[in-house]
Amino acid sequence: MSQPAAMPTLWRCILGAACFGAILLSSPWPGPQAVFHAFLVLALASGFESPLAAMLWAAAGGWILEGSLRMYPHLGGTALANMTLCLLAQWHFRNRPPDSRTAYWGQLAAFSLGHFVLIHLLVRLAAGPHAWGWGWLWTLVTIPVWGTLSLRMHLPARRR
Amino acid sequence: MRPRPWGWNPVGRRRYAILVLYVGHLGWITLGHGHGSRWQAMLETLSWPVQKISAPLLRSRAQRAERAGSLQRAQYELAMLRQRLESIQKENAQQAPRLIEAEEAIRTLALKKQVPLEMKAARVLVNVRSAPFGGMILDQGLDAGLVRDQGVFCPEGVVGRIWEVSQRESSLLPLDAYNASTAVMLAQSRATGVLQGVGPGRAEIRYIGGQEVVQIGEPVYTSGLDRVFPRGLLVGHVVGTRPQGAELQVDVALAAPLNRVHQVLILPPQPRIDLAVPAAPPKEGKVKP
Repeated sequence: MSQPAAMPTLWRCILGAACFGAILLSSPWPGPQAVFHAFLVLALASGFESPLAAMLWAAAGGWILEGSLRMYPHLGGTALANMTLCLLAQWHFRNRPPDSRTAYWGQLAAFSLGHFVLIHLLVRLAAGPHAWGWGWLWTLVTIPVWGTLSLRMHLPARRR
Repeated sequence: MRPRPWGWNPVGRRRYAILVLYVGHLGWITLGHGHGSRWQAMLETLSWPVQKISAPLLRSRAQRAERAGSLQRAQYELAMLRQRLESIQKENAQQAPRLIEAEEAIRTLALKKQVPLEMKAARVLVNVRSAPFGGMILDQGLDAGLVRDQGVFCPEGVVGRIWEVSQRESSLLPLDAYNASTAVMLAQSRATGVLQGVGPGRAEIRYIGGQEVVQIGEPVYTSGLDRVFPRGLLVGHVVGTRPQGAELQVDVALAAPLNRVHQVLILPPQPRIDLAVPAAPPKEGKVKP
């Protein structure tokens, strides 16, 4: 019985570049931008085999997000939070692959909340106090969409 | 054999890269927040070798710029000084004739005070000695009481005599004119003769006996026998002798600078012979009260 092949690295890179563009272009709308950002970090970058590649994609996403906003006096907090949550999610999904869609959604929701809190803390550490915003709500609400799209990347190999 | 996770192999290098990336970001947001003095200190520490290397270069560049500035200032000052020098030279050139005439007037005045005669001072208006039968034109004439054959001299020596007199000017016959004759005597031998002009600045003494001993450089004075000049005014110096028959012809270089004399003194008509006149011309620019 033949198994479907995992997503090729080239397609992951194209999807990541598209996320970069989406983050950059959606800077006037913080809600959709938070969704693209969370998808890039928690779903796409954490699906890379190499932790170094995952960290680089996540860090680049953070820098692009902060650079597109042009409002922080000192950048780097989002990138560090991205790297941390990306490594954590990669380790988690590698050791405990999701068995079902709803479980995967739940895990993504937990990681999204943790990601959001960590971003807020590290940006506060780097750049000072800032508003919370509603990006976290947009992220949680749209998890069924982007979580379903990224589910194949994190399923166990036997189920892909 | 399983590779060591923190060794220098592909797995270890990936781990090191992750560590550097993570720690770098952590340091970046930790040190970057707040006051910038820490970053400044870190950057200064990192840039210390570059600063050490570039400091002499910057110093030399600053010194070169300073030297260039000094050179420009010096060139500007030099140009100003040259301009000032040119203006001074131009002013001096304009003032030179007046200065010479003033000095000559001072010496003439000094001589006038030393000679115990009532003399008149006059200016030479025109000097046409180079022309054939030319002479000098003075600015005094009948109005000043001048008559023919009055002696004329300057601080350096005898110049000539009045030849013709008009109402306001008079012409002067210089000593070196071919038709000029003046009674003279030699300073050492006291031999007397007649001085006749032979050319510009030159004259010769006639009627000197062949047995007379005449030395080169010997002064020649007026003898006063022609009743035009008193005895003892300097005429010139002997520059050569040559026997001619029974006579001894004596070549004389005239003492008065006839080409550039501007101020002269006019003796009274037929002055006394025995006057105590100074043997040497007065020193320049000194007037005794």
